[in-house]
Amino acid sequence: MKKNTFYLVVGCIALVLLGILWYSVEVFRPPFIEVSFVLAIVLVYLARRKVDDLIEDERSVKITEQAMVRTFQVFWVIFAAFSIGAVMQILHVPTFPRPGPPDHPPEILPLRSLGYIQLGLLILMIFLYVGFRIYYARKYGEWETDEE
Amino acid sequence: MKNKIKVYRAMNDLTQEDLAKAIGVTRQTILAIEKGRYVPSLDLAFRIARHFKVNVEEIFLYGDTPSP
Repeated sequence: MKKNTFYLVVGCIALVLLGILWYSVEVFRPPFIEVSFVLAIVLVYLARRKVDDLIEDERSVKITEQAMVRTFQVFWVIFAAFSIGAVMQILHVPTFPRPGPPDHPPEILPLRSLGYIQLGLLILMIFLYVGFRIYYARKYGEWETDEE
Repeated sequence: MKNKIKVYRAMNDLTQEDLAKAIGVTRQTILAIEKGRYVPSLDLAFRIARHFKVNVEEIFLYGDTPSP
C-alpha cells in the first residue's frame, strides 16, 4: 500500500468514526463509540503495517518517544491532581455527632461535569502531544533545509 | 559530536538521498546528523561507516578529539 492510500484509509476511518459517534450520541449508547474507537485504532495499526513506502527510522521513532514521554510526564500530574479531587468525594465522611438530617445533600460531582472535565483532559493531552512533537521535530532537524 | 559525513559523501559522489536509501533512513536524518542536530545510535553510526568502508572514528569525532 502506498503512503497516500494509507492517509486516505485513515481519513475514511475517521469519517466513519465520526458517524458512529453521532449515532452513539443519538441513541445514547456510549459502548458503540468506545468499542469502535478501539477497533479503529487496531485497523489503523494494521493498515500502517501494509504501507511499503513509509520510512520510519530511529530519528522519527525518537521524536515520537520523546513527545510521548513528555506528554505523559505533564499529563499525569494534571490527571492526578484532578483525580485526587475526585477521590475526596469518596473519602469524605460526615462528622459526628450528627446534628440531625443535613440541610443540603452531599455534593457529588455530576456525571455531566465529569464529561466536560474528561473532554478538557482529552483535548489537553492532544495539544500537549502535538506541541511536544513539533518541539522535538524541530530539535532533531525535521524541517531543516539544505543546499541539496 | 562532529562528523565528516558530508566530506565522505562528496568523496563518493553521493547525495543525501542516495546515502539515506543505502542505509535505510530518511534524507532528513542524514541532514540532521550532518548538521549536528541529531546524534545517531551506534548501530546507525557503524552502518554509515561501513557504507564508506572506513572505521567509525574516521567519520565521527567525539568531543574535542582532533581530526586525523
